[in-house]
Amino acid sequence: MAADGVDEGGEEEFGFSRNYFLAKESRGAGKKSACKVSDIDVVDEQELVAAMSEIKPKHEKEIAALRDGYRGSYSQWVFELRCGFGMLFYGFGSKKALLEDFASTALTDYSVVVVNGYLPSINIKQVVLGLAQVLWDLLKTKRKTPAASMSKMKEPSGSQSLDELILFLNGPWVEEKDLFICVVVHNIDGPGLRDSDTQQCLARVAACSHTRIIASIDHVNAPLLWDKKMVDTQFNWYWHHTPTFEPYKYEGMFFPLILAHGNTTQSAKTATIVLQSLTPNAQSVFRVLAEHQMAHPNEEGMPISSLYSTCRERFLVSSQVTLNSHLTEFKDHELVKMRKNPEGEECLHIPLPTEALEKLLKDIA
Amino acid sequence: MKKTAASAPSPAEPSPHQEHGDDNSLQPFFILHRAAPDKSDRKPSRRSVPSSPASPDKAVNSDDHDDCSGDLSREHLRMEAFQHAWSDIETAIQGVLQSIDSATFEAIHSWISESFSIIRTHVSSGFSEIAQSFPAAVDSVSRRLFTGLILTKNVELFDDLRTFEEVGRFLRSHGCHVANLSSMDFVAKNGIGGCITSLLRQFLATSVDAPDMLTLSSWYNNQVNNDTPIVLIIDDLERCCGSVLSDFILLLSEWVMKIPVILIIGVATTPDRLRSILQSEALQCLYPFKFNLGTLAERMDAVVEAILVKQSPGFFISHKVAVFMRNHFVNHGGTLSSFIRALKIACVQHFSMEPFSFVLRGLIEEEIQGSKHGALPKAIYNCASNISPCERNKMDEEAVQRLVPEIAQLRRLHFLWSIVVLCLYEAGKGDEFHVLDLLCEALDPEFYASRAPGSFTQETGHTKASSPNDCFTHQHKFTMRKNGFISQVMRKVRDLSESHLLSLLKRWERHTADIIEIHEKVKELQHMLKFENCQQVKKDSVEIAKIRGLQNKSNLGRDMKRVNDKASSFLAYLIEKYMQPIECVPSHEIVCFKNVKKLQMALVGDSRRQIQVDLLESHNILSCSCCRNDNILLSSMHDTSIMYSSCQEHGDLVNLHDWYQSFKRILLCPNSKKRHKLKQSPVSKKRKIVDDSEKLSEVVIQSRFCRGVAELQITGLLRMQSKRRPDFVQRVAFGL
Repeated sequence: MAADGVDEGGEEEFGFSRNYFLAKESRGAGKKSACKVSDIDVVDEQELVAAMSEIKPKHEKEIAALRDGYRGSYSQWVFELRCGFGMLFYGFGSKKALLEDFASTALTDYSVVVVNGYLPSINIKQVVLGLAQVLWDLLKTKRKTPAASMSKMKEPSGSQSLDELILFLNGPWVEEKDLFICVVVHNIDGPGLRDSDTQQCLARVAACSHTRIIASIDHVNAPLLWDKKMVDTQFNWYWHHTPTFEPYKYEGMFFPLILAHGNTTQSAKTATIVLQSLTPNAQSVFRVLAEHQMAHPNEEGMPISSLYSTCRERFLVSSQVTLNSHLTEFKDHELVKMRKNPEGEECLHIPLPTEALEKLLKDIA
Repeated sequence: MKKTAASAPSPAEPSPHQEHGDDNSLQPFFILHRAAPDKSDRKPSRRSVPSSPASPDKAVNSDDHDDCSGDLSREHLRMEAFQHAWSDIETAIQGVLQSIDSATFEAIHSWISESFSIIRTHVSSGFSEIAQSFPAAVDSVSRRLFTGLILTKNVELFDDLRTFEEVGRFLRSHGCHVANLSSMDFVAKNGIGGCITSLLRQFLATSVDAPDMLTLSSWYNNQVNNDTPIVLIIDDLERCCGSVLSDFILLLSEWVMKIPVILIIGVATTPDRLRSILQSEALQCLYPFKFNLGTLAERMDAVVEAILVKQSPGFFISHKVAVFMRNHFVNHGGTLSSFIRALKIACVQHFSMEPFSFVLRGLIEEEIQGSKHGALPKAIYNCASNISPCERNKMDEEAVQRLVPEIAQLRRLHFLWSIVVLCLYEAGKGDEFHVLDLLCEALDPEFYASRAPGSFTQETGHTKASSPNDCFTHQHKFTMRKNGFISQVMRKVRDLSESHLLSLLKRWERHTADIIEIHEKVKELQHMLKFENCQQVKKDSVEIAKIRGLQNKSNLGRDMKRVNDKASSFLAYLIEKYMQPIECVPSHEIVCFKNVKKLQMALVGDSRRQIQVDLLESHNILSCSCCRNDNILLSSMHDTSIMYSSCQEHGDLVNLHDWYQSFKRILLCPNSKKRHKLKQSPVSKKRKIVDDSEKLSEVVIQSRFCRGVAELQITGLLRMQSKRRPDFVQRVAFGL
């Protein structure tokens, strides 16, 4: 039987690799499409953002039915949580509303702290401190907390180290097994929590006797964040497949719109705005650079030395220091990028296509 | 601290989250609600399954409660039943693991005592030096640090974390001062301060601002029992930062006269690894001694034997679940912890889903207490009738009445089954023979069904063999799996040498002690073997061995063979008669967990595949009527689902323009069903006009496209365009 399992695994792997190479092949064999994003008549970003917030939802009834279906499992989920497991929800669609609904209807006996993992940056120590304070409040109000434990306890504060705070969460301060706080982590695989240290810290928090973790993942590679120790002994995941098909309203907030940001017309627009705010001399330096790039489209860019000599000839700069100050300004606003040419010289390059450059020069003229 | 609510939200008031929805969603974290001051006040009164005749009345009263309180009390009963069963299993596991390691623990303790007395001898000879506050100059011999290397022989060290905790507990109980350090304490970031802080925190039970050895030294001197050593257990050598650990060892060796420290280090690979991790100076300070822990295979066998073969009240697993758990163990890194986790999930699922599982606890207690069964069925009925309205109809009192003898029979049959499995295991013990493999075969209902029909009647009560010695000449009538473990055992028994057979029979005797019938047969076999032996001794005493030496040898071989054959036939007889898998016993559902799929889903969620399936088959999950059209993408489908399905047609690179255009085409193309209806409708013209006005504007399509791409990016199924390829996005997953 074990051998059967291995065979199945092998076949599956073979299937994966075959699909991968087929996909690669189809790129090579079929004609690579030459169509450009700029061929789409992209509307203004503001308009796009406004339209996004007003997208008419599809299948509202079915999505609501799906949610109602999950509501029937709430008691089962609480049971699993009380048995000491961490709950992990996956499947397509935002699970934010689902988890919060579960926590606010079925976990009323427990304090619940919600961590928004989809935000770009989260201070994990602040989170752990917050949890420790909630536990502290809970233990204080708890009649069953033994006096001996109370005397040993120290109120958690920001001056304590992360280890000390986690030790506090681990207790055990009371004999009752059912005393814990629930930590709901939306997108535990989110950008703010994705680094290994944070995951280690979350795993240690999850393993504490006074905490239980309820988390959601959306990224297909999320399980790679954890090693076996974390999965089996710390998080102790109990997996739940709960596709909701609800829009990622908050989770998607920090992703650039593909048809707007990063788009050349958009970059050219931004560049124009930036350039218009600079001094005429700085604009002229940029013009020199742009003209050189348009004249030599196949080169890596304009070497700094030749830019300096040209600018000196045209009385745009008097010294290398002045030029550098202009260049710093350009680099800060991502108007130029540094590259090296085959001779190893540092070259300046404007990351815009020729057409966009022409338009830009016209605009600042 | 962010927005907090003073108390749990009541249904009438909006929850703090609803109130500050957007605010909270953009805070790194917030408190959704706090627990009530003492939640036990709101809990249903603790009620267990009534086990005394007086209890049923209470249960009858529970009928008056409303549904809600019924639900709560049922949940409470389930939880109690689970906790009871699981704590039994956990205790059994702990006991088994302790017994495996107890010899090693004892050895470690006696070695620590010896080492400590050696340290003390050095101390008494160099008293003037240690009287100083900092014992600076001591010779290299007295600077030696006694180090016990525990070889875990396990790739995944976290399986042994429990063992290291146990070592600590054991040594503490023998008076040592013990601190457990992990590799997390030896990281380059914190330096040597990190491990000393952790050390002091464990001994002094408070955090120290400036950690140093002087604090530890004064603490040790103030201890009442400072004639015992300080033992530091470092569980994972391989993961420690070498330089920090070396510094720590050097520091300890300087202080060893004042603070008698003995190190215990867990090594997953070989002791040679020390050389590559530690600096030579630190290495010279160590005076190592090796200890071995039981292997993973030994532990697994012992655990499986204790919890799945020997009696475990209230919870068993089916054949398919056992096979799944074995495959999971073999294919997923093979750790004891993951196996126990799988078992716990199975246990949780069983008690939370099987309607009658929680009732059983009362039954077992009742049986143990030996009280009359009369009062119990009523109690079970009352509990069971609370289960759900539909179940209530199925469960009448008579059915519950039948349950009691069935459960008793089930327990008896399982006990017989476990005796046979234990006998088989004893016979097969050796390399590459694991009890889990045997279990998978012994639980197989097909194997049991392969017995010749009618060879044994469904055995009830006392069993009778047709003639007393039938079992020794028994020809088995079941189909053995080729190269299966049972057939291997049968062969092995036939080929055992005399001494081995004798010791095997002794072990069988021990296992079968509770079933007189089988026990007697085993004794009979022992007598036969001894009788053959005595005969041989007599023949030898006649001293005709010289003449008939060759002949005698062959005779002995034949006689021996006869006993071996009898033992083998006896085993076949036991298998055929008593090895009835739990799934073949009536009412086994109450105690036997069978749902492999559910277990697999909970244990190893296949998120990578499932997210793709969700997108490709969204209409199945949403179960909507409008999108059911195989292989055609309809505009009514979920946007992201349309986009992901359409990008499957591209290679690994997806041209954004083409992708957008195809998405737009699908959105603008009306559903075929709709079109069909329109044709038939008399008001088609009117509808057409409305349709045109509803036509999606470019802005809406673009915004939907952008949202779809962002959602695919969140799921990680797409990689965004690079500067080099601004018009293409890259697919990440290929095939399910």
